[in-house]
Amino acid sequence: MATENPNADGFGEVSRVRGILFEYLSFGASVFGLVALGVLLVYVAIDAFDLANASPEWLLTYFLTLVVPFLAFCLYSANDRDVTRRALVALGGGLVAVAVLFSAIEALLVPIPRLNWQLAYLFVVAAPVTAYLAYVGSRGRLGAVGFGLLGRLVGGVAVGLAVGTLFLVLDALLWFLAYTIGVLPAVGLYALGRVRSSPRARTAAAPVGLVGLTAAVFLRDVVATYPSDLIIYLWTIAIPVAAAGAFLVAGRRGRTAGAVVGGVPLAAATAGGFLAAGAGLPAPTVLLAIVLTGVPTAVYVSRVVDGGEGLAGLGLPLLLAAGAIAGALIVEALGVPAPNPWLDASFLTQAPSRTPEQAGLYPAIVGSVIIIAMVAVLSFALGVGTSVFLEEYTPESGALGTLTRILQVNIANLAAVPSVVYGLLGLGLFANLLGLGIGTAVTAALTLSLLILPITIISAQEAIRSVPDDLRRGSDAMGATRWQTTKNVVLPEAMPGILTGTILALGRAIGETAPLIMIGAATTVFRAPDSLFSRFSAMPMQIYTWAGFPQADFRYGVVAAGVITLLIILVGMNGTAILLRNRAERGS
Amino acid sequence: MSNSTTDDSLITTEVQTDSNDGRAAPAAGTAVAARDLDVFYGDEQAIDDVTMEIPEKRVTALIGPSGCGKSTFLRCINRMNDMIEICRVEGDVEFGGKNVYDDDVDPVALRRKIGMVFQKPNPFPKSIRDNVAYGLKIQDFDGDVDARVEESLKGAALWDEVKDQLDSSGLELSGGQQQRLCIARAIAPDPEVILMDEPTSALDPVAASKIEDLIDDLAEEYTVIIVTHNMQQAARISDRTAVFLTGGELVEYDDTAKIFEDPEEQRVEDYITGKFG
Repeated sequence: MATENPNADGFGEVSRVRGILFEYLSFGASVFGLVALGVLLVYVAIDAFDLANASPEWLLTYFLTLVVPFLAFCLYSANDRDVTRRALVALGGGLVAVAVLFSAIEALLVPIPRLNWQLAYLFVVAAPVTAYLAYVGSRGRLGAVGFGLLGRLVGGVAVGLAVGTLFLVLDALLWFLAYTIGVLPAVGLYALGRVRSSPRARTAAAPVGLVGLTAAVFLRDVVATYPSDLIIYLWTIAIPVAAAGAFLVAGRRGRTAGAVVGGVPLAAATAGGFLAAGAGLPAPTVLLAIVLTGVPTAVYVSRVVDGGEGLAGLGLPLLLAAGAIAGALIVEALGVPAPNPWLDASFLTQAPSRTPEQAGLYPAIVGSVIIIAMVAVLSFALGVGTSVFLEEYTPESGALGTLTRILQVNIANLAAVPSVVYGLLGLGLFANLLGLGIGTAVTAALTLSLLILPITIISAQEAIRSVPDDLRRGSDAMGATRWQTTKNVVLPEAMPGILTGTILALGRAIGETAPLIMIGAATTVFRAPDSLFSRFSAMPMQIYTWAGFPQADFRYGVVAAGVITLLIILVGMNGTAILLRNRAERGS
Repeated sequence: MSNSTTDDSLITTEVQTDSNDGRAAPAAGTAVAARDLDVFYGDEQAIDDVTMEIPEKRVTALIGPSGCGKSTFLRCINRMNDMIEICRVEGDVEFGGKNVYDDDVDPVALRRKIGMVFQKPNPFPKSIRDNVAYGLKIQDFDGDVDARVEESLKGAALWDEVKDQLDSSGLELSGGQQQRLCIARAIAPDPEVILMDEPTSALDPVAASKIEDLIDDLAEEYTVIIVTHNMQQAARISDRTAVFLTGGELVEYDDTAKIFEDPEEQRVEDYITGKFG
């Protein structure tokens, strides 16, 4: 560079102070928010599981039998020397650092309530390291198989329980008729049409199904004798699910494999159902849980065995089960004092009570699950329908265009209306005017659907709008009708976005209390709802009620257990929806 | 003289162009004809009194500067202009002897007989197989879908490249392959006419030349009408060329060789030699 260049001393400097300040402020704010939420959740978990009373020996036993084998599995799956070294350093160094820091704070500053350094280590170091390693491990073939299997086991049980819960309020007899004379013939005709490639059979499927469903409604009270509940669920759900699994596998591996994959879980479920009936347990739910867990698991195992890779990963559930049993045995043998968690099996299966030890959340869980299922179906169907109409069918100009714009503005405004107002609307419209009853499950579901409908519509519209016009024109030019274009091109492409919006909206609906109070939902009910028109309570209502009780055990222990239950159900629901969404994304 | 002694040709020439020697067929009938066609976008006139007859099983190129109405003309043929709310069409466009703007014509049914390929490759986010089978699916095609998919992909010179990955997404293909996939999609329902709106302008030269070769082959079975900005391309692949100039006026329409070597109009010569437009 020539020396007489005026820039020889550099180009001067441009101040970045404001940008850097903004960057660190934003970073600090988000970290602060996350840490505050994390601390809250840690304390709620400590209360719910009574971890404050867990002895260090108890923690150590389960750490060694459950956590360490899991970490070893993940590290083995990741098969990365660097990750292993970093994990060990983090676990070991973290132990020293947390112990020293914790003792220092306690000695020099303030005592930290209901925490000891072992627990602090668990939450601050062990949990994040475990989560990270689970993530890294799941990217290895072995881990992917292990988590896939674990997910199907847990997911199957959850779906089985949810379906069983829904049938508490749905009319099983009506479903039996509808399935037998509506759904089954329609599906059969459609399948026949596919196999014989006869379009007439395929087009006949829908009308036949409709006729069957209508007939079922009329025949519901005419037919006098029905099979027992267990037989109905076996016939309408277990056998079709097993058949679908068998069909999937038979296409790939031959009939014998298909028969095993479908037959074994079906036999196990049937046996489980009858045993449960004998033992006085809810037999249909047991049957559904076993079959909905068993068939997907069997299909998955068959697929993994086919692929021949990461077979050892199938041992992960066994490893965890063995760890839990070993831990329990050691604790028992050594007489280590175990904590007495508020959140246990009886909390999930019993009705509320005046005494904290006997208090349970079961009726409220059932109420919430039923409402959420209805809200999900209603708001999804209405939301997608409305947004498709607004985006694809209405013209942009003319009188109809003006009407559309007015509608748009109003929907946007409705999203900002406070939920109490929706409660009032639900009370006036559904409970009183339509006579659906004050504080019934159906009134609540309709009200909450209305509440989240604007959010669902707006996000679905956004998703539909983001589908490139090129694709629509491409489909139009092929001679597709507008409906064909919407169904085959626009909706599949917009589905991930639509699902994201619906998931967020549902998360809001499950936590709402204000509209439920307005429509007269009970704060506490002692029996699970058994029809859409029975009184019900929802989890947030019940938790809110407990928080007002005078006994400290309620305000700390029981409320914490309720919050954790609510969160787990919410996360599980969102997780399922996100899995579905990712599948939709991959499919496109 | 090569082949293009169509009844409507204005002037016959003795110049040999290199593209149409493979199709030295006898005089062809008329596939599409426009009569006194005017198109308006709101108050603006996009096409001004165009009358032309497009021979069947030939490649007809529409060239002209941007905004001269050639794409609009193309979209009139399969009534894609209907999608534009402010667009108004006057005059006739005849396809198969029938005015497509008659009241009893269903534009959706019309489009099933006319394939279209766009400027930017726009395969659907579906598998290659489903992309090609799309037109069959929406028309409730009864026959052997897989055989038709294979035939169409071969027709679009794509089969050898994708036959092992029919179930992978159409979006995983390169730009040139995507455009050929769109062509396969357009020919799968066996249309009579294929409209192409600058099909190579978003592609690199190698991919573009493959498409050009393909267009040449397509003209043995289909009537191809192509809008292009690329003068050399029009000269290479088309049998007939229509030159539109600003204001939507059809200035000259003749055999390609004549247009490029001895145009009647000074304006056309200026445009082709790059002095204008």
